[in-house]
Amino acid sequence: MEGERLESHLEERIDSLREAKKNGIKVIGYLPGNYVPEEIILASGAVPICLVDGGDIRPVDAALSVVPRQICPFAQAQVGERILRRNPYYEMMDMLVAPITCQHLREVAEIWEYDGDIEMFKLGIPHNYGGDFELEYYVDRLRALAERLQAFTGNEITDGKIGDAIELYNRMRGSLRELSLMRSTSPLPISTLDFVKLNHASYYADPGFMVEVLESICRKMKGKQVVGEMESPRVLLVGPNIANGDYRILELVKEAGAEVVIEEVCEGVRYYWNLVDNKGDPFKALAKGYLEDRLPCAFMRHSARKRLDFALKLIRDFNVSGVLWYELRQCETYDSESYFFERELNKRNIPMLILEADYGMADVGQIKTRLEAFIEMVKGGIEY
Amino acid sequence: MIELLRLCGFEEPDLEAELPRFEEAFNRLGITSEDVEQIKQRLRTYYNVELLGVRKLLGLYLEGLVNLVLAREDGKTKVIYGIMGAFDEVCSACVSKSDDVYMSFPSEIFEIVLGSMFGKLVPVLEAAEKAWLRAGTVAHCANLKTLLGLLVSDLIPRPDLVFTSGFLCDTAPKTTDLLSEIYGIPAFVQDTCQDREISEYPDAKRTTDLMVKSARRFAKRMEEVVGFEITDEMLWEQLEARKALMGNISQIRDLIEHGDPLAISPTHYIYLENLPRLAASNSEFLRGAVEATSILLDEVQQRIDKGVGAVDRGAPRILSSHPALASDPRLDHLITEMGIALVANEGGALFPPDGGHTPPVFEPKDPYEGMSMSLHMSLLQSLRARANILVEAGKRLKVDGTLCLTHVGCRTVVGDSLMVKRALAEELGLPVLYIEYEGFDPRVYNHEKLKRELELFKTMLHGGVGTQ
Repeated sequence: MEGERLESHLEERIDSLREAKKNGIKVIGYLPGNYVPEEIILASGAVPICLVDGGDIRPVDAALSVVPRQICPFAQAQVGERILRRNPYYEMMDMLVAPITCQHLREVAEIWEYDGDIEMFKLGIPHNYGGDFELEYYVDRLRALAERLQAFTGNEITDGKIGDAIELYNRMRGSLRELSLMRSTSPLPISTLDFVKLNHASYYADPGFMVEVLESICRKMKGKQVVGEMESPRVLLVGPNIANGDYRILELVKEAGAEVVIEEVCEGVRYYWNLVDNKGDPFKALAKGYLEDRLPCAFMRHSARKRLDFALKLIRDFNVSGVLWYELRQCETYDSESYFFERELNKRNIPMLILEADYGMADVGQIKTRLEAFIEMVKGGIEY
Repeated sequence: MIELLRLCGFEEPDLEAELPRFEEAFNRLGITSEDVEQIKQRLRTYYNVELLGVRKLLGLYLEGLVNLVLAREDGKTKVIYGIMGAFDEVCSACVSKSDDVYMSFPSEIFEIVLGSMFGKLVPVLEAAEKAWLRAGTVAHCANLKTLLGLLVSDLIPRPDLVFTSGFLCDTAPKTTDLLSEIYGIPAFVQDTCQDREISEYPDAKRTTDLMVKSARRFAKRMEEVVGFEITDEMLWEQLEARKALMGNISQIRDLIEHGDPLAISPTHYIYLENLPRLAASNSEFLRGAVEATSILLDEVQQRIDKGVGAVDRGAPRILSSHPALASDPRLDHLITEMGIALVANEGGALFPPDGGHTPPVFEPKDPYEGMSMSLHMSLLQSLRARANILVEAGKRLKVDGTLCLTHVGCRTVVGDSLMVKRALAEELGLPVLYIEYEGFDPRVYNHEKLKRELELFKTMLHGGVGTQ
């Protein structure tokens, strides 16, 4: 029921956004990575849309005229979508908020700024996420973003509006986390592919509607009698991101006889695990919630240990028997960190497989073979 | 060995006194007497060793390598390494105050000496690739591989602190993060945000202010390591002490850029570019650098006056949109052999608004602000601003074409490269040769391919602004 409602909502979303634009409502695109508070965009009366499409080789190829192949396929895909002019979400943006995160997504912002055909705000993300003056800097940049959005939309952003938006997005994050935690036991009440798609839908759907759908799904799931046994190995997926459309890896794991039960990616755990403490100055609350409290991405400073500790917690809590390291081609920080993770996991007898994705089809056979061998290996579970 | 040291500007009686140290260091690095013969030949091939200034420069780097390898034996109890970091004056202030402190930039030293001068860097890179900076399509930066390879091979002492910056990339901080986690080497990252918008250009106050705060934090961290206070006065002294060196380098650059013929081969540029940074290692290095550049300045002027140069008078002039190649002189040498005058590259720090070598002038309110001037250089700007500076540099230098030399190991450089190429071609209206290259890895050099590309490029060069 909720699935059908959501599907119908997303089908109509483009038209409704076009209609809204006619009425003067701005559509604000932003790049993923968990450092752009949607709350500020929503408080400005604009519609936040996260540009998170990927998994398709065509925009990657199209981007090669402006971005060399040493930039990751996800970043290339963002550039390519604007070149191909086929994706309405990428076409209807009135403004882009570009968080300066990894070098790859920074390059997307640089290229779009160079082209100069879209209003842009570069949101500086201090990579030293635990520092005092870095947090202050981020707070200042969030205030500057709010000022820019006010000027752009003509709507005043008040603390109250931001507070309401935080409340709404906290409900969104809370529901996603609740659903995700349901996967800590077998059999899974919701398949990981369905969960990831729900997560992705939250980036495009109307946030109020999405919260309603997610809360309804949670209520129903709680009462749902899950039948059947699940013997298949449970896998933790770690990586920079799983884009909207980049579902092949989840399907291949399933085909190989295992199940990804939790995904530590930008559009996953890192997004919904923590809520924003909705007290006091909303900008400070957002800065703390987005920069300090969230699990850092691999490009953040001194993040390897914190990320490892969190992965070990997920491995225990979700009864995981193997780790799938799913990195995007050319992602230099994840590639470096994979060495550290594999080394530390080996010490604990936790198997790990490293796979690289470039959104192409050429390596599917090889990935499949490696996955099958890995799943065979982890079937026995972990002996701690 | 004696002959090699003479070729590197050493003279009696220093030569005899230093010989055992050089032999010890060479022994540790596995440099044999056969290697020494090849190295001498290599130096004569790629460098203008007929110039005393050049020989002195080579000697400075060679001595820097020996000092680095033997730092612990020399009684240095606090060893600090930097890689792609800034605020060198903080380090030189510490080194000046205490003989116990030693500071170096191992990648820069080894890439130049073991790479460019000796042609022996590859085993170091391979050692890093066996750890986490693996070879292959991921294209990890070989500048980082050098540091990691040296440490995992135990060719240099384990440091008490390694620092880097996030001004340009995330790989360097990630590498030091893992050095810290895996080997227990304390690490520090100098940072700012790469979030400048073209609408703000050339103002960089916001990011500079953040950098200044990071510099202060760095100084505090250094104080913890060395065990004494680093005062503003100490830093002002260091900034002042470098002025003679910076002045010499600036004048040499001017002569290279505007003299005809091109006075010396571009194989030397990297030696000049790294001097200010390496001057942080000790006061003797700074004194030696001032002496070497003073001699070279006179020699370059004399060569231009006599019409002697690395290429013929009237040779087509080009600008390179990337720093000089650090570990391999062959491409710069090939360009020169083909009769093309590579008059400047981006590594010489090009600044707004006209792509000159001088940072925007202002009166810094404290030494930290003074040290943060490097943030204005083209490589650390937004893509559009970087392209603007390069285009202006092309006009200022009246070049006939540009070389878009793309260091594939750097996401920022490679990410910008196609748009930079477009800007140079469209806005200067001149030929651009685009070459993908790993700027620190000699294994990528493909002589025949590069020669063919340069031959074709040269035919397109005449007729540009430089010949008007």
